[in-house]
Amino acid sequence: MTTLVPVTYKGGVYRHDEIMDLIDDLGGYIVQKHVMAQDVVLQSFVPRDDIDLIREVAKPLAGEVVEAPLVGTEIAVVSPSLEIHHLPHTACDIAEYLRRAGAKTNMVGLARGFGKRIANLNDEERDVINEHDLAVYALGSFEECIRQKFPVLRRGIQVPIVVTGAPDRETLVRAIDPPVEGYVGGVGRIMHRFKRPEELAKLDELVDEVSRTLDARRDALARDPLSVFPPRLMAIIEEQLPEVSMLTHPTPVTAQMEGLRVKLPYDLYADDIRSLAVTADGAVTVGDIADVLPSRMRNYILIRIKPFSETRILV
Amino acid sequence: MPPLNYFVVESPDAVGREAYERIAGDVLQDLDLIKVIDRLHIYVDPKVPIFVAAGLLRHMPRAIRVSNFANVNIGEKMIVLDIGDETYLAPLLRQLWARYGKENVDQPDRFTVVLPAGVAGEEELEQMVVADPSETLYKDVIYALQYIAPEGFKVRRQYIKDEKFYYVASEDTLPGDIVEAMVRPIFAKMGVTL
Repeated sequence: MTTLVPVTYKGGVYRHDEIMDLIDDLGGYIVQKHVMAQDVVLQSFVPRDDIDLIREVAKPLAGEVVEAPLVGTEIAVVSPSLEIHHLPHTACDIAEYLRRAGAKTNMVGLARGFGKRIANLNDEERDVINEHDLAVYALGSFEECIRQKFPVLRRGIQVPIVVTGAPDRETLVRAIDPPVEGYVGGVGRIMHRFKRPEELAKLDELVDEVSRTLDARRDALARDPLSVFPPRLMAIIEEQLPEVSMLTHPTPVTAQMEGLRVKLPYDLYADDIRSLAVTADGAVTVGDIADVLPSRMRNYILIRIKPFSETRILV
Repeated sequence: MPPLNYFVVESPDAVGREAYERIAGDVLQDLDLIKVIDRLHIYVDPKVPIFVAAGLLRHMPRAIRVSNFANVNIGEKMIVLDIGDETYLAPLLRQLWARYGKENVDQPDRFTVVLPAGVAGEEELEQMVVADPSETLYKDVIYALQYIAPEGFKVRRQYIKDEKFYYVASEDTLPGDIVEAMVRPIFAKMGVTL
C-alpha cells in the first residue's frame, strides 16, 4: 500500500489545474485549495514516491512542494477571551502559523476564560473543543494563574492539549498536573505581532510540539486503522453531494484526523450523507463505517469514522 | 521604546515582571502615550491578587481657545474668523451655533467663518474655549492601564488629577485602605506625595 504524505503545493494560478489533476491521477487527495490573487496553495496528501514527480511537473510553473506535517488536521486555538488583552496577537499569530503548516485552525474564544478564580469553561465550549484533533491553549504570563485556572479550562477536554504560556517549559510542566501532551514556554501575553527571530522560533517550536503530538496519535491510528481514510471520504462526499460545492465556506468539508466536518445543516442532510455509497458497488454506505453526528459548531455535521476493529470494513 | 524618565515594573514572579514590562511598553507605544507619561510604576502580584499602576503625566495639554487656531478680524459689518488649523473647526462651529444661532453663523469657505458685527467682542471670541484635549487624554491613560492590567482583574479603582494618576485592580474586592497601603508607598518611591 502506498503511503500518503501531507504536502503543501504553492504556485501560481496559471495551469494549477494540471497539478490538481496530477495529484488526483496519482491517487492523492486535495484537502484544501486556497486561491489568493494570483497564488494558489493546495494542501494535499500525495504518495511518498511521487513527490519528486510533482516537483518536476511544477518546475516550469515555478511551483514548490513542501512537506506540511499538519495537513488534514483541525486544530482549536483556545484564547481565554475575545478581549483586546488576548487578541489579536498571540492567539491569531499562533493560528496563522499553524495554518502555514497545513492545519485548519479554528479560534475558540472562551466566554469566561480569564481570571484565576473566576475562569470557567461552559459545555458548548467544551464540546466544540472536543470536536477538534488537538487544542492549543494560549495562556498568559503568570505561573500562579496557569496553575490555578488550567484545571478548570481543561475540564472534560478529551483531545490532546498543547499549552503555551510565558513561564519556561520546565515551569509549565511543573505547574500543570495531570500533564498535557505538549508545552511551549516563553510565549504568554504578547501585545505586538510575532516578528522577532526568537518569537518566530517559538512558533516553530509550537509547530514541532503539535506535530509530535499528532504523530503519536497517527501511530496509534496505524495500529487500528480507520475504515476509510478521511480525505477519501471527503472526495466521495464532494463527488456525490453537489450541494457541498455551492457552500461559500473556505473549507466546506473539513478533513480531520479521524473524521470530517461537513458544513451543511444536520437536519436536512444527515440522512443523505449516511446513505452515500462508499464503494463502487454501493454495498458499503457512510452510515456503515462512520457515525454521522450533529456538530456543536453551528448546525454542521460531524462525521466520526469508526476503526477497522469495529466495522471489519476497510475501504 | 524611548525611555520614560522613570519606568519600573515590580512583581514577585520574575517571568511575569518581564512580560508586563514588555506589555506596558507595547501598549503605551501603540496608544501613543509615551510622550504623555513621564513616570510609571507598576506592581503586579497574582497571588494577592493585585495590580497597581501609578505615575505622573508629563504636562497636561491646555484648553484650546479660538486664538490658538484662528484670527479674529472685527469689521464694521461683520466679524471674520480666519481659520488657520481645521482640527478644531467642528467643535468651534457647534459652539458658535449654540451661542449665536445657526442663522447668524455663515461659512463661505472652508477656512472662513463669518458672524454679524456686534454679537461678540474680540476678546470674548479669542478666549472662547473650544476643546479640552485633557479630557480625552484622561480617558486614553485609563484605557491604557485597563489594557495593561490582567484581564481577570475586573474590580478597579482609578484616579487622575493634576498630572498624577493611579489605577488599582484586583480579581477580589479591594480593601478600603488600598490607596494608603499600596498606592502612596509607590508614589513615595517616585519621590512624589499623593
